[in-house]
Amino acid sequence: MTAHRLVAIVLALALAWPLAAAAQEPYPSRPITVVAPFPPGGVADLTARPVAAAMEKVLKSPVAVVNKTGAAGAVGMQFVATSKPDGYTLLLALSSISIIPEADKIFDRQPAFTVDQFVPIALISADPTILVVRAESPWKTAGELIDDARKRPGQISYSSSGIYGTLHMAMELLSHAAGIKLRHVPHAGAGPALTAILGGHVDALASGPAVVLPHIKSGKLRALAGWGDKRVAALPEIPTFKELGYSDAEFYIWAGLFAPRGTPEPVLARLREATRAAVAEPEFKSAMDKLQTPIAFKQGQEFQTFFDADARRLAAGVRKVGRVEDKK
Amino acid sequence: MLDTLGNLALGFSVALSPPILFYAFVGCVVGTLVGVLPGVGPLAGISLLLPATFGLDATRAIVMLAGIYYGAMYGGSTTSILMRIPGEAASVMTCIDGYAMARKGRGGAALAIAAVGSYVAGTASVVGLMLLAPPLAAFALRFGPPEYLALLLLGLFVLAYMSSGSMLKSLAMASLGLLLGMVGIDQMSGYFRFAYGRVELGDGLGVVPVAVGLFGVAEILATAGLAMPPQVVKPRLRELLPSRSEWRESAAPIGRGTVLGFLIGILPGSAHIIASFVSYALEKRLSKRPEQFGQGAVAGLAGPESANNSATSGAMVPMLALGVPSGPIPAVMLAAMMVHGVSPGPMLIQQQPELFWGFVASMYVGNVVLLILNLPLVGLFVNILRVPYPYLYPAILVFSMLGVYAVNGSVVDVWIMLVMGVLGWVLRKLDFETAPVVLGLVLAPMIELSLRQSLAMSDGDYAIFVSRPIAAVLLGAGLLLVLLNLISFVRRGLDWRARLALAEKGEETS
Repeated sequence: MTAHRLVAIVLALALAWPLAAAAQEPYPSRPITVVAPFPPGGVADLTARPVAAAMEKVLKSPVAVVNKTGAAGAVGMQFVATSKPDGYTLLLALSSISIIPEADKIFDRQPAFTVDQFVPIALISADPTILVVRAESPWKTAGELIDDARKRPGQISYSSSGIYGTLHMAMELLSHAAGIKLRHVPHAGAGPALTAILGGHVDALASGPAVVLPHIKSGKLRALAGWGDKRVAALPEIPTFKELGYSDAEFYIWAGLFAPRGTPEPVLARLREATRAAVAEPEFKSAMDKLQTPIAFKQGQEFQTFFDADARRLAAGVRKVGRVEDKK
Repeated sequence: MLDTLGNLALGFSVALSPPILFYAFVGCVVGTLVGVLPGVGPLAGISLLLPATFGLDATRAIVMLAGIYYGAMYGGSTTSILMRIPGEAASVMTCIDGYAMARKGRGGAALAIAAVGSYVAGTASVVGLMLLAPPLAAFALRFGPPEYLALLLLGLFVLAYMSSGSMLKSLAMASLGLLLGMVGIDQMSGYFRFAYGRVELGDGLGVVPVAVGLFGVAEILATAGLAMPPQVVKPRLRELLPSRSEWRESAAPIGRGTVLGFLIGILPGSAHIIASFVSYALEKRLSKRPEQFGQGAVAGLAGPESANNSATSGAMVPMLALGVPSGPIPAVMLAAMMVHGVSPGPMLIQQQPELFWGFVASMYVGNVVLLILNLPLVGLFVNILRVPYPYLYPAILVFSMLGVYAVNGSVVDVWIMLVMGVLGWVLRKLDFETAPVVLGLVLAPMIELSLRQSLAMSDGDYAIFVSRPIAAVLLGAGLLLVLLNLISFVRRGLDWRARLALAEKGEETS
């Protein structure tokens, strides 16, 4: 298995150069590259690899994951947006695909890419973030924290994975929905953001459940509420913000597969079929189980609707954050 | 204590089982290779091999990845010593005195000292990891942005000891480094700074391409520009091993480097490169003959090389004891555990004693493997110096480009390396030293981020730096250092650095 995957990667690297693929060849006739725009070990990478392995089985052709990182994912996303739409270069994107172009607009800069440059193939997983505070903090429920934040605007602090990052947007959507103001302390990634709350340097954090569960179980952190439309399976007693009446506070760290716009329809159809079969593979299911990431497979109109609604919420969130210096 | 011994026995029973031993060995070999290749550091090595571990069980995967991590620290010194090319970022300081030693025909001795220093540091710091992990990890978490800023400001004092020449010139170089560190996305506001529309510059200038350019490429250009190729003192076989006096000189620096590296490694977000910078400065400060630094001082090699090795064990303390990713490499290793269904966290040591103790024991074993692997290789590597320059240097240039490209798969990084190579060559011609540029580049983004995070935490109130005890103590120590230096500066008029610079000038003109 391992040797096989290594061979596949080497092959993909060797063959990824345009070999002037003949248009008549059946798809896929050469290795497919899935670009993960984030470093190995991150959500995108850890989702991309089992998906690629399962697709490889279905398509009977090598599918290699390549990490093309930089600028909060913009480098890899731009790479796929401008690569040849032939179905051999795909993108495994996270929610940030809708955020980055919107942030570019805020700064009046030439966008690195636009959402229109991609065609959605399938949504793979969607993990609602949950709100955690330190166990010794006074807030026992989300309601108490929100009430306190109303009384002391800008006094309760939270860490995030970076400005306009996923963890920041989750908190902003909540602040907007609840009409509160929290103090944002950006960190360089989700890891440092978690370290900051465990060290007691900030009061709250929005995070994917899997990362904080061990700390909730060991009694260091307390979960208050979740951003999903359903409760998190591992934390059945924790309500959603929807239940608490903040219906706009809906947010997922999702991972989906995209192709560059202009990819021929037969190729897209083959890819949709392949991803549908891939997520049903037992190996894929057990891989996602171990990561404690819920599979949320959606395709076609269903994915488009989810994607559009999510992009609308995020765009509004980014616009509300605006430029930081305008807020003072 | 008895518990620990019992646990360690359990650990060794895991670590010495053939499969684990095999993966530890593979990790060490790959790590050494990754370290030797210019530019490719442990992060790139671990990232590239992470997918290959998905088929293994958790203990094997983590043992192999850790082997790559500390193995790279052993290998990183090789090209730094022989060719002045940092094999990975934390070997930058080794380029200075290690290379100077090689130029004097002591390349074999330098490699041997680096290997033994790494071994001592690696082994001693695992003892630290084993005995002190939980309490130290809890303490390390108290290092938030204000404490970190105070520590980094202290780190700026390292500058004073970085250069053997003019203080003015080294300050100018550090400022250049700080400016270069401004390139990239502003973490606090999302602005692209000095990126000129290139998203590839969003993450700033990488330490690796800059260091390989400023040191390695510049060295190659400078040599190519000489009318006569320089005479390398060819290593004689019986001179491969360090002399007795060299051992004596390296003993204390190895000890200090080990402790220092371990402590700095524990702090979340810190980089190994800082451990080696601080160790170099400390050795120079303590040395009776600081003027030898830069000319092949054994302490200037032994200290930093030990420090970067023990920093790897340090970095694993918060990872294993608390499940906190204290840096990019531990983050990848935590991901490797999660892929195998082991949820890292404060309960890891209790819930997975075989994994934790097997891992600790495998590090003892791995360090022995690396020592056995590296000492005989000294004789082999030293022979690289026998290759004539017209063949050696083009080959090194190709390997540097490949290595720098491989890290991010980015051609932009290769260009950065080449531009920095030319810049480094010009600076050399003008008699500027380039190590402070790298220090500035490393420190600038960290200082800026932690300052602005601190102010975000306090809503703009600067009192946060004195109201938090650890930060206040560190800042106080820094202030004291400045005052002490100022007093001696005023009193003596000229300090040894300036005197040395004058003496050097005299030599050149005569």
